[in-house]
Amino acid sequence: MSETTVSTNGWKPNPRAARRRSADHLATAFGMVMAGILVLVLASILWTLLSRGLAGLSAAAIMKPMGPPGSSSGLANAIVGSLIQTFLALLMATPLGLGCGIYLSEYGAKTNRFASCVRFVSDVLMSVPSILVGLFVYQVMVAPFGHFSALAGSVALAILAVPIIVRTTEDMLRLVPTSMREAGAALGATRWRVTLSLCLRSAKTGVLTGILLALARVSGETAPLLFTSLGNQNWSFSLNRPMASLPVTIYQYAGASYEDWVQLAWAGALLVTMGVLAINIAVRVSARRG
Amino acid sequence: MTPETLQGMTQDFMMTETDPQMVKSPEVALAVRNLNFYYGENHALHDISVDFPARRVTAMIGPSGCGKSTLLRVFNRMYDLYPGQRATGEVIFDGRNVLDRDLDLNILRARVGMVFQKPTPFPMSIYDNIAFGVRLHEKLNKADMDARVQDVLTRVALWNEVRDRLNAPASGLSGGQQQRLCIARSIATRPEVLLLDEPTSALDPISTARIEELLDELKEEFTIAIVTHNMQQAARCADQVAFFYMGRLIEVDSADRMFTNPKQQQTQDYITGRFG
Repeated sequence: MSETTVSTNGWKPNPRAARRRSADHLATAFGMVMAGILVLVLASILWTLLSRGLAGLSAAAIMKPMGPPGSSSGLANAIVGSLIQTFLALLMATPLGLGCGIYLSEYGAKTNRFASCVRFVSDVLMSVPSILVGLFVYQVMVAPFGHFSALAGSVALAILAVPIIVRTTEDMLRLVPTSMREAGAALGATRWRVTLSLCLRSAKTGVLTGILLALARVSGETAPLLFTSLGNQNWSFSLNRPMASLPVTIYQYAGASYEDWVQLAWAGALLVTMGVLAINIAVRVSARRG
Repeated sequence: MTPETLQGMTQDFMMTETDPQMVKSPEVALAVRNLNFYYGENHALHDISVDFPARRVTAMIGPSGCGKSTLLRVFNRMYDLYPGQRATGEVIFDGRNVLDRDLDLNILRARVGMVFQKPTPFPMSIYDNIAFGVRLHEKLNKADMDARVQDVLTRVALWNEVRDRLNAPASGLSGGQQQRLCIARSIATRPEVLLLDEPTSALDPISTARIEELLDELKEEFTIAIVTHNMQQAARCADQVAFFYMGRLIEVDSADRMFTNPKQQQTQDYITGRFG
């Protein structure tokens, strides 16, 4: 081997590279700080919720119905009312949302005027303020009959859930490859059979996720219920009468000047949050299995 | 007018008279006459006329975009799924023009099966992948359906590999197994014609060889039309070869003559790999 010809000049410090490197560090630090703030906000909300809510969350809070202040009352009728109204809402929203999403994906080509119109309306509906939906249902289902009703509350929640189901159903069905539809058609299956047995079946995890997301979204809604199901201090299972719900009860109790009501409001908030958390976990589990 | 010319004219007359009969004869499964195909404004097939002999393998070859897959998708009216695509002319199958507006597409597709380039297992069990198509057209009891499933899986040489997991999802099979399942699914509805659109282009050489063997057995019962980019495959499997270029049928002949002594220069250039 002769003498080395390697020059070390290439390794001398380059001020431009150093500047770029420090800009890179700065950007990374900025992102991490912002992410940290976000986590901090969420954590402090959850901490407040847990520390205040757990104190009020007793067996009585879950088992006993609402009552006057100082009577060791609970939230039982509000919990059941919320369950009834959200599931009823889902019962109405799911067929409508599924059918609409199927139509948009399988029958409404991008060039179809009616389909574009439906898609646009559904997207707008998704961002309409929920209090507006409450007012609308009040006008058509409460004012004409002269009384508030659980059914009106469910309808208001359903209106909020439908566009979410429509969008996820359409998106998930569009992910099913065209080759699947062609293979089904090539066997002599009708379009509807292909949609139901092949496309919807391939997309079922995603579609189910959409329905659960809609459930999570509406289960904490207060505004649409204020003028529709109103709330109720007592047990009521009639869809034709006002019905209690957790979000409305939280709204009423949190601002009250009675210590035990405020505590119940926190317990209710914790219950709603845990419910939504449970749904989100279910969504993740079902998505992973799919 | 001499008696000879008179006889000649009579023969001509009789030829034209019997021509439709020949089309209907069992020896020709699909008779294509003056077929034109359009993707919207794009004229993709020009005046195609060709016969597909019954229980023979006809390979369609040609460079990408030459129209061979388009022709295949006319035979089962696959193009009907897409607005803007249309065909004119005739494709006579069992005495009827496949292009007729009022033809029952579900019956047509039960009689003319299709296998695609990419294996497309349905999101269900291996058993149900086969039963799905059968249930669309026949009402079988459990025992008959079991027999049908076993029969077609045996014919595609898949039975021994899957007999213990018929209820497992079909998506768990390998690519080659999935494609054989798709062929089994297509023949389970007992079609007369089997259309194969580059069925082995996504498969490894061993799986390809198994499917080619399978074609040899299947042609005893089915009329097979296969689109392929693989010249060796066409030479190995086909009885008749049709060469397409720019939407036109350049030449159609027996596989032997096509690969040893093509009549057209373009065919010669393509099969020797000078273009395409």
